[in-house]
Amino acid sequence: MKDKPVKIKSKSVDIAVEKVDEKLFEEAAEKSLADSSQFGRRSLSTTAKPKLLVKKSNKRIRKLFWPSLFTFVAGAAVYESYLFIENLFSLNSIVGIAATAVAGLVVVSGAVSLVKGWLSRRKLRNRKSKQMAFSQLISENTYGESQKLIDDVNSEIGQHLDLSGPISIYTGQKQQVHNDRELIQLYSQTVLEGLDEIALDTITKHATESAIMVALSPLAAADMALVAWRSSKMLQEVSRVYGCPQTTLGRIGLTRQVMTNMMLAGASDMLADAGAELLGKSLTATVSTKVAQGIGVGLLIARMGIQTMKLCRPVEFTDDNKPKLSYIRKSLYNKITTILKKSEPSKDAVKVKGEQDDRD
Amino acid sequence: MSDKSSIKRVLYKVEQLVERGIDKRVRIAVTGLSGAGKTAFITSLMNQLLHIADNDQLPFLRAAKEGRILATKVSSYDELHIPEFKYKQSLDAIFDKKPTWPVSTTGISQAQLDIRYTIKNEWLKKLQKQSQLTVDIIDYPGEWLLDLPLLRLSFKDWSMQCHELLEQSELDSSWREQAVELIYQQPLQDDKIAQVSTEYKDFIRQNFSQQHTYNLLQPGRFILPGELAGAPVLDFFPVLDIDILNSDWSTLSSDSLIRILEKRFNYYKKQIIEPFFKEYFEKVDRQILLVDCLEVLNNGYQNYRNMQFTLSELLKSFHYGHSNWIKRMFSPSIDKLLIAATKADHVPPEQHRELELFLQKMLQGSRNDIQYEGIELETLAISAIKVTEAVMAEHQAQKLMCVKGVELSSGDEVINYPGKIAPHSLSKELWQEQQYDFVDFAIPGNLTSSILPHIRMDKVLQFLIGDKFR
Repeated sequence: MKDKPVKIKSKSVDIAVEKVDEKLFEEAAEKSLADSSQFGRRSLSTTAKPKLLVKKSNKRIRKLFWPSLFTFVAGAAVYESYLFIENLFSLNSIVGIAATAVAGLVVVSGAVSLVKGWLSRRKLRNRKSKQMAFSQLISENTYGESQKLIDDVNSEIGQHLDLSGPISIYTGQKQQVHNDRELIQLYSQTVLEGLDEIALDTITKHATESAIMVALSPLAAADMALVAWRSSKMLQEVSRVYGCPQTTLGRIGLTRQVMTNMMLAGASDMLADAGAELLGKSLTATVSTKVAQGIGVGLLIARMGIQTMKLCRPVEFTDDNKPKLSYIRKSLYNKITTILKKSEPSKDAVKVKGEQDDRD
Repeated sequence: MSDKSSIKRVLYKVEQLVERGIDKRVRIAVTGLSGAGKTAFITSLMNQLLHIADNDQLPFLRAAKEGRILATKVSSYDELHIPEFKYKQSLDAIFDKKPTWPVSTTGISQAQLDIRYTIKNEWLKKLQKQSQLTVDIIDYPGEWLLDLPLLRLSFKDWSMQCHELLEQSELDSSWREQAVELIYQQPLQDDKIAQVSTEYKDFIRQNFSQQHTYNLLQPGRFILPGELAGAPVLDFFPVLDIDILNSDWSTLSSDSLIRILEKRFNYYKKQIIEPFFKEYFEKVDRQILLVDCLEVLNNGYQNYRNMQFTLSELLKSFHYGHSNWIKRMFSPSIDKLLIAATKADHVPPEQHRELELFLQKMLQGSRNDIQYEGIELETLAISAIKVTEAVMAEHQAQKLMCVKGVELSSGDEVINYPGKIAPHSLSKELWQEQQYDFVDFAIPGNLTSSILPHIRMDKVLQFLIGDKFR
């Protein structure tokens, strides 16, 4: 084996010794990676599971539907607008120019938001790959590879939030000897847990707001619009906290993922929250129907918010730090009841079931 | 009115009861062979906890990170006959102008720490804001731990084991030649027995304490008699004559030499070992096993096998299974075992994972048995007192991650690349090919902070007592 121990007296020999800096750490890590593959390192890959095959031919034709429809509609629209503008020109050139200018504006702004949306979607995809990279480093327990990833994430988040405080705590606590798993854990608990708190506050705020709006709004249709509006606003803000902000178009992608996740995770979430939900039901049962609806909507939005957090957080949640719906529900319930009590102490607000029965 | 006051009284009583229920006690058994670093470990553990309020180097102790641990103090314990752990002396030695490692233990000692913390559990918090965790730590010479496997052996078994180990070691047989002259079937005077026994003790001490043939260093009090020095209970030795070992002993008269030796051996087992472990390891909740892997790596294959054998014998004694005597003797309450590779600061940080894997492989069999019993088990590379730093050095156009520190033997500052630890078990041939040179480092004179630098002591604390801060 080429690997022989070396011992050097510092004083006797003039030898190039450097303090270990980040770059050298990376080199060493690469080396150790190469060395360890020599020992037949077995990584914990998850690809060993069987995969369901997809019938390709069928899918290809189905896939063509949306693009072709889009092209058709877009082509028709362009043609139609061309005719429309030409028509206007024939009426009056000034009106025609104005219409052209407006059409140009539509095209430019549309293109810009398309590009932005595409960028933000790429950011989300990028975030997903970071999540995977982090969990791989955690499971393999390597040394010296995580710092670069952490710096990347720091600079991404740093564009939207001032992270200097938590980062200085992180650098103060990290030691040269910490391996990747420990560094990521440390980063997660010094920097990211602060972000989790901000995100949870945002979610609570939006959930409470929409709960109150729904509780007060007289129209069912307005409720739906409210939910759509508030939830999309919330997704935007929460994703911004984690440094991968989603724009209007990008949000569609995020919303779709959040919804899919909620449906997939829904069953397990429901089981986990079952105990809490029972308690929640007895609470909602004591307040009037409209308020109960409001709380229901608030909970839905909160759940969407938590799913967004899961998608956007660079390091995946562990059992210790995963956000709990019960936390939001409690403050939601407290806020909504106190607000409604204050605003309408005599009517519609909080009623004990018995009283309601008496009135009836 | 009277109703209200009586309710208050009841509530107060409930509160007191709860307080007593919430206050907790953990007893930690620090186990490890001599030289594994038990004293340094306990000193560092106490140091970290006693400075908990201004110690920001414990990020992985969750309760401390949450700011819930308020303060720690050394308190007096109930077992008044046990001397106190010499924390101050150990610390003084470390922070001295000419620092030295804390002296190794020659007797038993105990320390008790009271840790005050804020309760996290929402329901308990309503009854009581703060609570107290009492941690008992016991220090004792590692040599005595070797007695534990003796409890399962008879005098004949023990002699047989010594015979086999001596055969294997192919060493100086001077004592054995002398022992051949003994006539085991006949009585022998007490002073003659004492003389032969002293010679035997000197013989094993001289020949095997460097060799790490730990099971020949039994009984532990042959090496470190403690308060038993000179007592006749220690005047015995194994029978190494194979003919006599294979013969039938049932016809021997009770005043024959063999019977006398057997009697003393049994007395030692019954009156010395059993009470010792019964007293100190009863009611143990958590156990940490400290292993000095570097010594094993430095000394090669035979030492590896010896250490593996000794440690698995040791862990077998601590087993928690149904058929085990220890189950009958102590109520088995150990629910967490931490196996720690000490002196991790002597190893470049990029190799800590390999060090952990090496230790895991070494104790694979025992770990499997322990995990089967449902015990929570963890392996960590730790350093109670960190005395080196990692540097990159270029040697023959190769960049190597080394450790830099003051060499203990020479007092010079050295940069050491100890060789690459293989993360899997090596065959005998590979052991001979692979060379290691782990240097013993001294404590540098420039330790300024009163908190000892460490590697992963916070993870140790989290594993051993972290779950108690609820």
